Amino acid sequence: MALAGAAAAASLSGCGSSSAAAEGPLQFWNFYAPPPSDDPATVARAQWMQATVDQWNAENSEQIELVFAPVLGSEKLSTAFAAGTGPDIFLISPGDIIRYINGDVLVDLEPYLSQEAIDDFFPDNMATRVVGDQVFALPMEIEPLALYYSRPAFEQAGLSEGDIPATWDELLDIADKLVSAGQGGWVVPTTQGYYQNFVWYPWMWQGGGRVMSDDGTSAAFDSQATIDALTLWKSGVELGLTPRVEPAGDDIVSSFVEGYASMWQSGIWSISDFQRKAPDFDLGVFPLPVPPGGEPATSLGGWAFAANAMGRNPDAAARFCAWALGSTDDAGITRVAEWCVQTKTDIPPRQSALDRANEMGGFDTELMRTFRDDIFPSGRGEPRFPPVIYKAVSDAIQSCQLAGGDAADQAATGAQAIDAYLQTYEGAQL
Amino acid sequence: MTGAIDTAGPAPATHKRPGRSRAAASDLAKRERRAAYLFLSPNLIGLTVFVAVPMLLSIVLAFFSVDGFGGYTFVGTANFERMVGDPQFIDSLGRTMIYLFVLVPGLFLSGLGLALLVRSQFPLVGLFRTALFAPNVVSLVVVALIWNFLLTDDVGFVAKLLGRLGITAPSWLGDPSYALGTVMVITIWFSMGYYMLIFLAGLQDIPREFYEVASIDGAGPWQTFRNVTWPMLKPTSFFILLTSTIAVMTGGLEMLVILTSGGPANSTTLIVYYVYQQAFVYGEFGYASAIGSIMVLILLAWSALLFALTRGGRFTHAD
Repeated sequence: MALAGAAAAASLSGCGSSSAAAEGPLQFWNFYAPPPSDDPATVARAQWMQATVDQWNAENSEQIELVFAPVLGSEKLSTAFAAGTGPDIFLISPGDIIRYINGDVLVDLEPYLSQEAIDDFFPDNMATRVVGDQVFALPMEIEPLALYYSRPAFEQAGLSEGDIPATWDELLDIADKLVSAGQGGWVVPTTQGYYQNFVWYPWMWQGGGRVMSDDGTSAAFDSQATIDALTLWKSGVELGLTPRVEPAGDDIVSSFVEGYASMWQSGIWSISDFQRKAPDFDLGVFPLPVPPGGEPATSLGGWAFAANAMGRNPDAAARFCAWALGSTDDAGITRVAEWCVQTKTDIPPRQSALDRANEMGGFDTELMRTFRDDIFPSGRGEPRFPPVIYKAVSDAIQSCQLAGGDAADQAATGAQAIDAYLQTYEGAQL
Repeated sequence: MTGAIDTAGPAPATHKRPGRSRAAASDLAKRERRAAYLFLSPNLIGLTVFVAVPMLLSIVLAFFSVDGFGGYTFVGTANFERMVGDPQFIDSLGRTMIYLFVLVPGLFLSGLGLALLVRSQFPLVGLFRTALFAPNVVSLVVVALIWNFLLTDDVGFVAKLLGRLGITAPSWLGDPSYALGTVMVITIWFSMGYYMLIFLAGLQDIPREFYEVASIDGAGPWQTFRNVTWPMLKPTSFFILLTSTIAVMTGGLEMLVILTSGGPANSTTLIVYYVYQQAFVYGEFGYASAIGSIMVLILLAWSALLFALTRGGRFTHAD
């Protein structure tokens, strides 16, 4: 029925340019404002969004309206675009962006940005939003991944700071000691989806593995690094160190407080979750351990502003995105820094905003400093793979982690699926 | 009434009055037809706009490659041919058949069993009926969330309960060997109250005299069930077989999305989830429509078979 509804909407709407609203202010779909709850953190984020839009509206004739749209990046957004009613401005994640780039529905923001602004964005993080010289979205934040740990759980297991694992073997050993001592285990995502892939990539990267060749024309998934990374996650489950289902409904704070988990791979955003829900909890964080001979690596997540090329006023939408996140004046830099360290706990996506965030005291805590100094420098932007490639990787992870699949077989199967897809792929370089 | 008046009246009038009577009857029939259409029209309009037209458009969409941004390319039967070479589609179809063959009898038997249990009048029977039907009035999303917490590994209610009995609970939703079975059990728990209610209505339609005669004839409980209850329940059984098959094949998406996301390792990726995934996660609206069309064909074939075998649900040559 839902599919039939989408079909009807698509057919009825035709193929012309249209937007979520036929008239009135340009619509900015986001999942912060208007705030969906009274939670102080949610309200603070909504206030930043509202203040940004209010300032734009005060200075420009093209008015913008914030529209709360939960679960962006999946059903709602894709259905809206399929029906020709995509929003004028919206938030987009790297995991989703390639469909929109290849669909020619994103405005190239490069003409709206100064070279100084473009150079100010961290290139590794920016890369997933860029095709050649074209910039299809502007990141509002950077969210690296790391391993959080519960100091109380470590202490209960007779472990100390000196036991923090630096290698994969040490990671399994420490997880084993924690579980043997009755503490929670080492949690990584087990639910299949884009997020699980995002969290798994660094383990493959650490050993030099890649999903595809550098030029994006062939699969590179069938490698020893892939096999090792698949085997590591498989071992975690088979040894009883990683739970098959994320505990406490996938809530890291409750899991640590209740003792259901001792180590948990998550992003920098979890710091604010603890600040909000369990400010007194003794939380630690360390970079992802590496395999023998491997290099540190982590994924850089985070959302970005994008403008709809099929919207009612793509020029105004693009100018808004560039102004909100790419202004090089003092107010523009402060705006980005405030979003990242005052309303959230993120790394700013621009050097100038990172410097400003430092001045604002955003990295005065041990956890934030560790992310800035020890974790972020080894980060790579989250890959922008089309669904078929995402699914090939996902199937390999799921099979090995939860169904006892052979890592070598799964790496080979995944590579075949990717190669088969790339033979007919037409679109931006992956 | 008009006849009595007509016969008493003068001749000219008798010529006219039957004519007026036929005209009046015709007017009445017209008015009744209009009223019938008027009453039917909300549903007819709703079904046409929200079911029939989208369904037809969806079938048309199955012959196109859709980029999700307004681009449509006619590809003939390519989407249907793709299914043959898509192992994930074939796996999900096979899994759906297993799901169907377990769940439809499961729902039938549980619904019938519960209806037989609660049809008698005993203290608090109303409470039992309400309790058994209650899951149906709760959103499937809420049901999924509750079961998610109950079945959490190690610390969930079920794991702790079994632990007290000395049984180590498996990972109900995290182990591919158990996940589909777990989803089936939850679905039966959620849906059986509805089918119980339908069976209960069927049971209450059986004249009490039939049971009294059976009792006088010395029939035991099994003989009574086999010779009285079961034959009289055939139309209800037909309805339940038909509707439960359609419900099982096309429903439950919310629960799959929340409970398992089709995992672990695709073990709960049923055809309905696969269609959803192709359309709304991958943007493959054309391919998803083709799979949806095949689902419709399968259900139409099943319905036609059921109608043929049961002679339209009447189970008899008569009528």
